[in-house]
This record gives sequence, C-alpha cells and structure tokens, in this order.
Amino acid sequence: MTTVSPRVARESSAEAILEQGGSSHVEHEAGAGAANRPVIVADLYQAITRESRSLVDLTWEQQRLHESRRWSAMELVGAVDIQRLSESDRNLVWNAGRAELTTKPGADRLERLADAECRKWQGRNDVVASILQACGTWSRYWNEEEAHHETSFNRLSQLLGLEPISDATFIEYRKVFPDDDMLRTLTLLSISEIVAAVNYGHCARVIQDPGLKALFKQVGADEIQHMNYFIAFAKALVDSGEYKAKEAFAVAHLFLREGGEVHGSKRGHVESRGTHVNWWDQVEHREGLYSPDAIEKKESLIFNALKRITGMTVSSAQEVEDTWMDLVGC
Amino acid sequence: MPDIHEMETYIRRKFAEHVGLPESDLFGEDLTLAALITRSERMTNSVDLMEAFARTSNGLRKDFGLRVRLPALSLDTPISRVLEVFLQEAQSQQGRAA
Repeated sequence: MTTVSPRVARESSAEAILEQGGSSHVEHEAGAGAANRPVIVADLYQAITRESRSLVDLTWEQQRLHESRRWSAMELVGAVDIQRLSESDRNLVWNAGRAELTTKPGADRLERLADAECRKWQGRNDVVASILQACGTWSRYWNEEEAHHETSFNRLSQLLGLEPISDATFIEYRKVFPDDDMLRTLTLLSISEIVAAVNYGHCARVIQDPGLKALFKQVGADEIQHMNYFIAFAKALVDSGEYKAKEAFAVAHLFLREGGEVHGSKRGHVESRGTHVNWWDQVEHREGLYSPDAIEKKESLIFNALKRITGMTVSSAQEVEDTWMDLVGC
Repeated sequence: MPDIHEMETYIRRKFAEHVGLPESDLFGEDLTLAALITRSERMTNSVDLMEAFARTSNGLRKDFGLRVRLPALSLDTPISRVLEVFLQEAQSQQGRAA
C-alpha cells in the first residue's frame, strides 16, 4: 500500500517538504515497524477494494496520524517574542489570521457535502460511498487543525495590537462556499492548501524571531498534510471511474490561466462575490512589506497534484489548458 | 473558410447549446456571465462557464480548423462582449491560417 508518513515541523520543515514536491514521504509500507507508523492512505481506492479495509480501519489511521501531529496553540503563541517582530512580520500575522477564518466554513461544508454525496452513491457504488465517508469523517481533524491556525494568528494579532477583526468581518469570512462537484471541490482544496503552504514556507524563511518562525513552519507543515489528504481523496474518486479527470484539470486551469486565482489579490481583476470569501483574494499587500509570491513553486506543486490525482503528466500552464480542452471535448 | 456571419451563427448556436439556454434569452437580453450562471440549470459556477467556452472553442477547431482561446473574463461581462472576443480571436486565427 502506498502511504504518506506523518511529519511535523519539528522533524522536517515545510520548506524541505515543499522542495521535494510535497509528496516526498510517499512510501511503500513494508518491513517491521512500518505498520506502527500512522500514515495517510494515499491509494485509498486500492485499500478499500483490494485490501478490504473498512471505514473503522481508515478512521483509526486518521485518528493515529492526527494524534501524532497535535501541537499546542498556547505553547507556540507563547514562544513568540512580540517585541522582536518587524513591521513585515506583523503584517504577515494579520493577513494569516484573516485568511484562516475561511477554513472553518470550508471544513463544515466538506463534511456536509461528502456525507450527502456518500448517501447518493450508497447501493450504486459502495466503494465510492466509503471513500466519501472517509473524506467527510477526516474533515473533523482538518477543522480542528485549522482552528489551531486561526486562533493562533488572531490571538497574536491581538497581542500585537494590530487592526482588530470586527465581528462583522468574522461573520463575513465564515460564509460558506457554494456546493460544487466533489472532485472539483477536492482539487480546489488541494490547490488552496498548496498556495497556503508555499506562502507559509516563504514567510518562515524571512521571519527572524524563532518563535514566530516555528509557528509559520508548523502551520505550513499542517497545510502540506492537508494537501496530501485532499489529493488522496481526489485520486480515489478518479480511480473509481465515477468522477472525470477533466474536473480536476478545470480547477487547475482556473488557478493557472492568465490572470488566474494563483495570483491571489495581486491579479488585475478580483471578482467581487457576495456568496463567500476566497482567502487568497483578500490578502492585503502593503508597500515595502514582504509578501510571498513563489508562483513557479505553486505551479509545479499543482502539476504534481494533477499527476497524483489523475495519473496525467503536465509541466506548464499551457499543457494544463490543452489537456483540459482535450478532456472537455466538443 | 467560413465568413463572419456563418461563424457568428455557429458560435451563438453552440454556446447556447452548451449553456443550456435558448439563443433568444441569451443574446436577446444580453445577459452578463453572472446572470447566465444564475439562469441556467446546467451551470453551478464559473468553472461550468469555462467549460461551455472550451466546448464552443473545440467545436470551432473541429468544424473550421480554428484554434480559439478566450482570456479570463469577469462575471459582469455581457454575452455580446464574449461573442465579440470569440469572433475577434477566430478572425485573427483565420488571418494567420490564410
């Protein structure tokens, strides 16, 4: 079985993992000891069909991995020397806190959507129903981990005396993204985690205070773990034959096309939406202060994600568009 | 090579077909892309819209040998403008092929 072993920032930095494509810890479970290490089940379709793993088995693995990676927001926030932070650091904290507010509605929606979709497939394709239930169940860990990110950054913002987040903004950022095809949803979430992980990794490089650096590294490592989960669920749906690879490519194209979402709030036109808040649209850049880009890194990780989800290799935004156009047909 | 009117008729027909709305509604009211998504039962969001453009473009390639790519368009763009961009792109492709 192909698996992704757990890592936390203390063991392996988000940057190091990103340098290796985000999936450097994909390994084949073999030999003594491997069975005891909690993993992300990367080949979920095979685990359910050939290895007959049940939802109880899969959920236990999720629980083990979650427990092995837990960390304390109070401890990491307490380790930041708030007197030492630069103006740039302060801006990074403030933006991160606002962005993380949008993850709770994302996780709540994933839970609801995955469960609804699971019930739709029950009796028609029970393997797909199990994949979706595994995904919806995992959303509880995702939600809990994102709570660490949101509360850590927003608490730090408060301690630093930065512009407060009003209750109105808080509520606005909790708006739920409208429902969509499940494969599109999972691909979008994979890409959102890629963009976030690269941003956090780059922020960690420029931050000087060891406490804040550790927090950004930890959050970046969490986002990579989430990306790996989303990719695993998306791949399983494609492997089932019930979901079309074109949907994954469509979302990638949405991000990678000229003026696409990967450029976040720096792109020429940001759609004004009343329905929900995309965190990458709302990052505020201030003159003279550091803000991460690393577009090439994000692009290469998106190509890698597409390969893992669909098995199809692409190496440029143009190839993503061409492949998507071919898959769409007339 | 098709003339401009033939191409316009083709694009209107194909696009209406892929969006799932009558041509008369789509172009008669000059709907914006946002309104089109709301009105069409087949559309959930801008990814569906992108796909409708892509399928129209693939049709142009298959039936006329033209490779047309549309830029990202904001959701307040009226459909008449989309048609205009499609035709401009198709004509420039024709020019290159001639």
